[in-house]
Amino acid sequence: MVDSLTVTKKFQKELNAGIASLVLLSVLEKSTEPMYGYQIAKLLEDYSGDASFMKQGALYPVLHSLENGGLLESKVEPSVSGPPRRYYEITAEGKETLVVWQGVWKQMKLFVDKAIKGA
Amino acid sequence: MIKSIEEYLDLLKNELQGSDAATVQDALSDAEEHLRAALANLLEKQPERPEEEALNSVIEQYGSPAETASAYGEVERRTVPQLARANPSTESVIARFFGVYADARAWGALLYMLIAFVTGVFYFTWAVTGLSISLSFSIFIFGLPLALLFLLSVRGLALLEGRLVEALLGVRMPRRPLFTQQNLKWIDRLKELATDKHTWFSILYMFIQFILGIVYFVVSITIFSVSVSLIASPFLQEIMKQSSLMDQGLCCIVLAPTWSYPLLILGGFLLWTTFMNLARGIGQLHGRMAKGLLVTD
Repeated sequence: MVDSLTVTKKFQKELNAGIASLVLLSVLEKSTEPMYGYQIAKLLEDYSGDASFMKQGALYPVLHSLENGGLLESKVEPSVSGPPRRYYEITAEGKETLVVWQGVWKQMKLFVDKAIKGA
Repeated sequence: MIKSIEEYLDLLKNELQGSDAATVQDALSDAEEHLRAALANLLEKQPERPEEEALNSVIEQYGSPAETASAYGEVERRTVPQLARANPSTESVIARFFGVYADARAWGALLYMLIAFVTGVFYFTWAVTGLSISLSFSIFIFGLPLALLFLLSVRGLALLEGRLVEALLGVRMPRRPLFTQQNLKWIDRLKELATDKHTWFSILYMFIQFILGIVYFVVSITIFSVSVSLIASPFLQEIMKQSSLMDQGLCCIVLAPTWSYPLLILGGFLLWTTFMNLARGIGQLHGRMAKGLLVTD
């Protein structure tokens, strides 16, 4: 028998794969100034409350991938405590993409809700 | 229980074995930045909490080394550097040969070959100046901080060169600075840098880049000039023939007979196309060399 926790974890991971990009872009679009990884992770922690949707470590490769795609840009700045921090900021292309993604998400949400409710 | 951030980073490095060296470097830098910030934040809020316990609660949220490694692995599989995207290789040899004009990697490599001249001269000057100043001043006490600054600048330049190589040649290179221990004294940091083969490979790269930069530049410019001359010569010859200069006996020695015009144009075009193909190959080889010398294992 397949362990239900493992199955749920796998489902959550697959779900996160696409959503993480949307969430990160949205957070950085709302932010008035560039944010570094830990700041973003803390903010998401506040949003998610007690439920933890994804490990904070999994956010960084997504940030890299968004930056690689030109949707984010980053700069490294020294910090008073510890290693230099990389600050991320959304680009104009990122903002345009986010609008499209938000549309896709709305449709997807509607579709999934309908499928779950069976209406 | 993981006892220190260094231990976590070692475990993460083990988990990432077999991954792209550049990915490993990025993952370690991200983890170090995050864990240090999170730990400092947590200990500030709960100063009475033992550090080891606090660290493990931070790791719990960040993800175990295995979880983090798998997250990087998955995203890396989906993301390839801009220019390294798969190229349809199903086309015939001829189509691929002439299709070089539509290949961003060939243009990127060409641009890189021209830029390499400037960067090569700069790297060489920097390395020679830095090495000689560091060595000659090392008999004084202030020579050592100078040496440290120079070696740190080499690391910085290696990262910048990596970004250039990834952008123009499409070879995945580190996007983050190399992970270093933060609590080291400057003299220990100097020892660490001076005994790390990566630093010396980077300096070696700076010297090699000087020679290659000149060769790339001279070859590109020469082939470009010859190709353009071959293509332009029939037109120029025709224009000159009809010019008034000819009547005054100042012109023209006919260099090529009229029947050879198409051959000259074709020759120039083929020469440049061949060079573009060659540039693409050179770009790939250079990228591999850069990766070998600038990225740690």
